[in-house]
Amino acid sequence: MRVNPNYSNDMATLMDQAQQAENNAAQQLSTGRRVNQPSDDPAAEAAMIGENSRAASVDQYTANSDSLTNVLNTANSTLNSVTNLLQRAVSLGVEGANGDMNQSDLNSIAQEVSGIQSQMLSLANTSYAGQYLFAGTATGSAPYVADPATPSQIDYVGNSQQMKVQIGTGLSVAANLPGSSIFSQPNANVFEGLQSLITALQSGDSSSIATAEVAVNNSLNAVNTAQVFYGGTVNELTNNESFLSQEKLNITTYQNTLVSADVATAATNATASETALNATVAAASQVDQQVNLLDYLK
Amino acid sequence: MGLTSDLNVSVQSLLASTTAMDVTTTNMANMNTPGYARRRVVLEESAPNGPDQSSTGVDVKTIQSLRDSVLDLSINTNTSQQNLNSTVSSALSAVQVVFSDTASGSIGSSMDSFFNSLQQLSTTPASGSLRSSVLTAAANVASAFQSTASVVSQAQQQADQSVVQSTSDANTLLQQIAATNAQINTAQSLGESSNSTQDQLSSLLSQLSAIMDYKTVNSSDGLTLTTANGVPLVVGSKAYSLTNQLNASGNNDVYAGATDITSTIDSGSLGGDLQVRDQSLSTLSSQLDQFAFQFATAVNNVQTAGSDANGNAGTALFNPPNTTSGSATGAASSISVALSSGSQIAAAASGGAVGDNTNLNNMLNLQNQAITNGDTPTNAFANLTFGIGSAISEANSNVTATGNILTQLQNQQSSVEGVSLDEESSNLLLYERSYQAAAKVISTVDTLMGNLLDMGVTNPGY
Repeated sequence: MRVNPNYSNDMATLMDQAQQAENNAAQQLSTGRRVNQPSDDPAAEAAMIGENSRAASVDQYTANSDSLTNVLNTANSTLNSVTNLLQRAVSLGVEGANGDMNQSDLNSIAQEVSGIQSQMLSLANTSYAGQYLFAGTATGSAPYVADPATPSQIDYVGNSQQMKVQIGTGLSVAANLPGSSIFSQPNANVFEGLQSLITALQSGDSSSIATAEVAVNNSLNAVNTAQVFYGGTVNELTNNESFLSQEKLNITTYQNTLVSADVATAATNATASETALNATVAAASQVDQQVNLLDYLK
Repeated sequence: MGLTSDLNVSVQSLLASTTAMDVTTTNMANMNTPGYARRRVVLEESAPNGPDQSSTGVDVKTIQSLRDSVLDLSINTNTSQQNLNSTVSSALSAVQVVFSDTASGSIGSSMDSFFNSLQQLSTTPASGSLRSSVLTAAANVASAFQSTASVVSQAQQQADQSVVQSTSDANTLLQQIAATNAQINTAQSLGESSNSTQDQLSSLLSQLSAIMDYKTVNSSDGLTLTTANGVPLVVGSKAYSLTNQLNASGNNDVYAGATDITSTIDSGSLGGDLQVRDQSLSTLSSQLDQFAFQFATAVNNVQTAGSDANGNAGTALFNPPNTTSGSATGAASSISVALSSGSQIAAAASGGAVGDNTNLNNMLNLQNQAITNGDTPTNAFANLTFGIGSAISEANSNVTATGNILTQLQNQQSSVEGVSLDEESSNLLLYERSYQAAAKVISTVDTLMGNLLDMGVTNPGY
């Protein structure tokens, strides 16, 4: 068969291919990615989109957990103060009920309990970042207010809703406990208990002081029971955060396997394609200098 | 017989050698001319002279062009394929950027941010600043849809402009092919050589194959060109000129004479532009519209089921896409945010308090529901990315594959039709020698004739 007398076409194609391979390798080395556009590996890119979205969600769930933890910790420490105050009220009630005191002493104890009651009101109306913590979902206004008709009576004006916040795909936690489940539970109402203690102390009747002291103690127990919710939820959030950080790590690892360049391979490819390009160029220049018959026909 | 016939034979030989050298120089001169196939002179013994047929000269029978028309044809077919795929690849490459996972402000990433801003708001539904950031994120989703739709429609317009340009280029070539056909016809009817015109025709056909595919039939009045399904493009010396006419969607269709041939062109750069414009991007554009429409509708449905920060019933978050009823066409390019204040976001269930996030949770659940193109929003976007990526990568591998075939075919073509300087130089030597030999014979005959004439002369001088 007759030999193709024109090499240039072939040479150009070969140089083109070697150049292309070198460009690819250089791009992989400089971006650190094997996949730089959807056409490089459509399936990997499509998977990357899904993983990016998952990673963003995980970040957001982590941020949600963080801010919830702050809120819940604030509520929890508020309830610690509530517990302390109620314990003080109980011991004041015990003191007042033992019958050793004269009315003036009882009055000053009643005075102190009254102070506890107003502190209690301010604690029950604790807000965090402008949101009332114990108002159910009616977080825009103070949940505990003095009854307009009977100023000594404290009314709950929040609702009994709990807010669910997502902390994972298909996983959510209750982010609050309404005041109705803490301070104003039926038969264990903090404010009613304190008010009855004040009234009993002022009346000086030992048995009603004792009854009122039992009522305050009941409300203390009720608050303590409710408080378990906060500790439990914070624990759940902490566990969830460590799960999320593991999840994030898994996602990142998977993303790396999807699109990251294997640096060693890319570097080897770069060298190999450069060698190929050099060889082709050298061959092309050789062909260029190749003698032909005309050189000998003088 | 005799000196005179020797002289005649030598003169014939001189002429034949000259013609052969002409062919050789033509070959050398055209070694790089596109469409040129090397030629060779075909010599034959001339009719013998005299009764004993002792002296027989040489005649130039013909000058043959070494064209392999089957090879030319398959090169043209492959060139068409090659151009189809490279056109598709480069046109779509401009579009794939906005579907990349690293593209900032892509539909996918802006939707992630939108859902994240809802997540954030769900922890503190009453927060004014978080409500505002949801609106901002929603506006980003809308503008991501708009800019993506605009990238797609720009690429479509560019393809359309290329269609117009290619139509006019193809038109010029068809006219030239018809003219060449006429020349070949004339030459053949006069019994003249049409080698040069054939070379031109071959070059024109290969240029046309870069633009579009066609079928050729050899008929009595020269080459007939038709589209793949038989609509005539060139018949003899008549070219059916290609024109553009706007179709219903505002794009240019291609007509040959009065026939719409748009859908029959499926190769060459024109075929590529048409495929990009009428198939790839047209599909992509309607998928985007569906996507935007269904996403907006789903969000609006949840939004209108809840109550906003002021206790009012929620109103649509996204402007109902500016579309004719029931159709999503144009949704992606016209989607926008309808709310003016973050307080209008219906975070609460209907009638719920300001701190209620029930409705937000419903909206967040959309992220994992098959609300768009039968898939979750993220997967719907990933599917678009996969679609365009694989279209380009398929075109690219076709370019490589046809490129390899084409190189192989061109090598073959060159080995048959290509001019080799070595070969031509050695031919030149041969013809030079035979010219010199013929000249030598003539001078010998001259001497002999001189001797003959001198025979009767006294003192001939030697």
